Amino acid sequence: MGTILELEQIQKYYGTKGNIVKAIDDISFTVEEGEFLGIMGASGSGKTTLLNCISTIDTVSAGHIYLYGQQSGEKTGRKADGQTNDSTRRIDITQMKAKMLARFRRENLGFVFQDYNLLDTLTIAENIALALAINKVPAGEVEGRVDEMCKKLNIDDILQKYPYQVSGGQKQRCACARALINHPKLLLADEPTGALDSHSAQMLLATMQSINGQLGATILMVTHDAFSASYASRILFLKDGAVFTELHKGDDDRGVFFHKILNVLAMIGGGESHVCEAGV
Amino acid sequence: MYAKLVFKNARRSVKEYLVYLVTMTICVTLFYSFVSISSKYYQPDIGTEYHFRILGDGMKYAICAVTLILLFLISYVNRYMLQSRKKEFALQAIMGMEQTTIGRLFLAETFVMGMIAIVLGVILGMFGSQFITAMVLSTYDRNYRLMWMLFPDTLLLTVGFFVLCFIVVGLWNLRIIRKIKIIDMLSADRENEPPLKKSRQIPMTIILFEILTVWMLVSGIEKKYFYFDPRLPFPVHIMFWSNILFPAVTLLWSVIWILKNKRKQTAGKSANTQKEDGVCRSGKTTRETLLFGLLLCALLHTLSAAVVPPMQNKYYLSMGTGTVNQYMVFVLGNLLFVICAVIYLANTVLVAWKERSPEHRYRNQNLFFYGQITTKLATTNKTMTLICATLVMAIFLLMAAPVLIGWANGFLEVRSKYDVQISTMYNNVYEEKDLPNGNYEFVTDYLEQNGIETAYDLTFSLYLPKREDFRRRVKYEFPAVAISLHDYNSIREMLGYEAISLEENEFTTQWQAIATADEREEFLKTHGEIQTDMGSLTLAENSCYTEAVGETLYNRYTDVLLVLPDSVCEGLLAVMRDRYIMTADRISYEQALLLEELFTSVYPENADSGAGYYIRMRTLQVNGTKAEMFVLQAVMLYGAVVLMVICFTVLSLQQLLDSAHYRYRFAVLRKLGVEEKDIRRLVFKQLGVWFGLPVIVAVCVAAIIIVYFTQSVSVQITAYIGFDTLFSQMLLTGVILVLLLVSYFVSTWILFKGAVGEG
Repeated sequence: MGTILELEQIQKYYGTKGNIVKAIDDISFTVEEGEFLGIMGASGSGKTTLLNCISTIDTVSAGHIYLYGQQSGEKTGRKADGQTNDSTRRIDITQMKAKMLARFRRENLGFVFQDYNLLDTLTIAENIALALAINKVPAGEVEGRVDEMCKKLNIDDILQKYPYQVSGGQKQRCACARALINHPKLLLADEPTGALDSHSAQMLLATMQSINGQLGATILMVTHDAFSASYASRILFLKDGAVFTELHKGDDDRGVFFHKILNVLAMIGGGESHVCEAGV
Repeated sequence: MYAKLVFKNARRSVKEYLVYLVTMTICVTLFYSFVSISSKYYQPDIGTEYHFRILGDGMKYAICAVTLILLFLISYVNRYMLQSRKKEFALQAIMGMEQTTIGRLFLAETFVMGMIAIVLGVILGMFGSQFITAMVLSTYDRNYRLMWMLFPDTLLLTVGFFVLCFIVVGLWNLRIIRKIKIIDMLSADRENEPPLKKSRQIPMTIILFEILTVWMLVSGIEKKYFYFDPRLPFPVHIMFWSNILFPAVTLLWSVIWILKNKRKQTAGKSANTQKEDGVCRSGKTTRETLLFGLLLCALLHTLSAAVVPPMQNKYYLSMGTGTVNQYMVFVLGNLLFVICAVIYLANTVLVAWKERSPEHRYRNQNLFFYGQITTKLATTNKTMTLICATLVMAIFLLMAAPVLIGWANGFLEVRSKYDVQISTMYNNVYEEKDLPNGNYEFVTDYLEQNGIETAYDLTFSLYLPKREDFRRRVKYEFPAVAISLHDYNSIREMLGYEAISLEENEFTTQWQAIATADEREEFLKTHGEIQTDMGSLTLAENSCYTEAVGETLYNRYTDVLLVLPDSVCEGLLAVMRDRYIMTADRISYEQALLLEELFTSVYPENADSGAGYYIRMRTLQVNGTKAEMFVLQAVMLYGAVVLMVICFTVLSLQQLLDSAHYRYRFAVLRKLGVEEKDIRRLVFKQLGVWFGLPVIVAVCVAAIIIVYFTQSVSVQITAYIGFDTLFSQMLLTGVILVLLLVSYFVSTWILFKGAVGEG
């Protein structure tokens, strides 16, 4: 498996001269294709800023972010097994012109947010189809692809309902479907379980795991909840804008991994307060 | 400290206040320009024969009445400002500021903005009043001169009125802010759209329309029963039948729909297979089917009801004014239903179009666009209908003003041909000895005493061709009266027309402007020869004169005057005694008033003999009519513009009030990777539909009403106004509409872009 994302000495400052706050302080890491990476840290550790920089919503103060794959603009028919094409190219998204960013985002990235970000004026099916329409997918393909994706995420029975008629878990699965329908290189999830009850959270995380395993999607998930993080294959811990440590799941089962995470959190100083009550 | 905050806030939120400023400035401008002419300092040069005060007073009352509508607008705009600032107020309250203080700060802020609007409005109003002066001077046939009009009393009235408005509305806001809970303010921008509850508006509208249809059907049958005659021409047959058949078809369609719907419901119940939402949707679709049918029927009704007045004009149907008015109610009722149905169905059509064409639906951001439009339309159906109806009224007021004014103007020219016009009436005289006679010498004396020279002076009689006609007093059988050739020629000379001649046994006719060509032909065809007490007379070769000679030359209820040789008239019964005078100089307003008083003291209104004596003077007539005309015109114009401003303000604020929802939705689009230029295009399209739909529907409906109106009064239009004036007014209406539309559209667009902008 190749590298899909590479961060090189990223820095992000806020404020003006004399009153500078370092939100991200020299972070470097890589993400492998098909990986499920979790990013954890206490409030103010810089995890959301990092995600915003990767997602091009925010800009970095210094450093580079490279995304590997075909050139922006070419449609990537990603294979299900997660293999990249031979003609792999590296794009530095920090150097991209503002005009290109929107296009880059819709062709390469998928987003899942804590508050779903669904449009209440559209049905679940239409919400998902909108992402395809924006990407200029031929009209004939749209419905078939929406149906297919919804079956995979088990939301095919609520397609004609409006977001306000379905549960939070269903909304978030719809958001996942919308994020994945364009086969993005990278799925970015910002506290996806933040607004869900424990049961829905568990179901969503299982779904994400299967997306990662079966569809080969690369997922980058920001969370401060140890239970959610235990579904990832690797976790980066941030503290004061820098990478504090890294944890690989390896062959551990999820229970063991969960306890390892708690230990790290205790070390960082987040303590047991990060433990999700749901348990493992 | 607080004062600083107020000014800082006001400066910072000038953009937020844009719609508020635009609306208030337009209101102040209109108010100032129209009220300025009632100022005591306003003395346009309209000549001594005119008296301006009549106009000023009438104007003041009229403007105040229309301005009451402005109060509604001011409170509406304030409500919007309050809504958009609630979150900020909540934060201030959480930080510990007292809610009373917050309220006062807001009051001060809106007051500062209001003052800016007043200053801007007064400056624009001074220009606006130039337009009003131009209107005044053209009413009094004077050339336009620039007048600088910053009048202290008008300024005081304007400032006083608006400051009072601001204070009343501001205190009301203060009360609201003091009472509201912080938590409610905090979540103000997160309020959901009003829930899509089952609106009773459409069923109620349908029921009202069905009642109207029944009324139409009944009156259609009734009219056919009483007025139909198989000898009438074919188009009249169609008119009578269509007014029965169309309502009948409408009712039949409704009955069929009810039966079908019932069967479907029972079938659905017994099978019990349909899903809940499936039933719901099919219920809605069938209601829309009914509505589609009814919309078509309403258009047919409108057509069939609208042809009644032109048919009546063309074929002299004897259905009377009552019927015409009744059919006018039908036309208006149907059009109101059409507006309501079109707005409601616009949503359905959009959804259907979206469903039918996947190509279109999945192109770029169309899905999002339709979602935006259909949700908003579904919740604002009633407002949209009201806006449309108000716009129609405004357009109609603008268009009808010149017709009515021209009508009155033309009528004035016909009526006030002479400087002094003494006329008589014999309707209530039953003895020949009581018939009016005399030469009105006291008028001659009065004119001499006041040094008024006469250029022409003619006292003459009007005769009945046959003495026995004196007893004919039924309205439709009133005899035409006759004038001697000598008197007729004297009148023609007075008015600057050429004299005419007649052979000994000939007669000719003189016609009122209101008589149609068809009427004249009909009369001349049947009156080739007439019988008089002095023998029979034949129609002269020049059988018809139509120059305007004043209304009092004709007998009551008749449009024709017979001109007979002098020798014949000598032997006829004189029933009316009139006197027309042309003075060398115009009689002044005061002199005219005194003469009128003198005349009524000599000839009181209810004389014992039953004879009626009347005096009309050009000075008084022109003064009164022109002032009335001007007030009417000004009020129609003012009212129309105010109504349009209200419509556009409501449209604009409806969008801006929801900007919190929109900010969220457009943010989602951005996250999905939609480019800024596409977002700008979407915003433009959304506002375009939002403003375009009511304007287009209103323009179409107004066009129908105007065509109907011009058809009904086409005789008056051709006689007094001319279609050119009508077209230029149409142009003016269009310009006003477009100007207001553009200024509101642009301000809304700027604010909207700001509201959904990045960050």
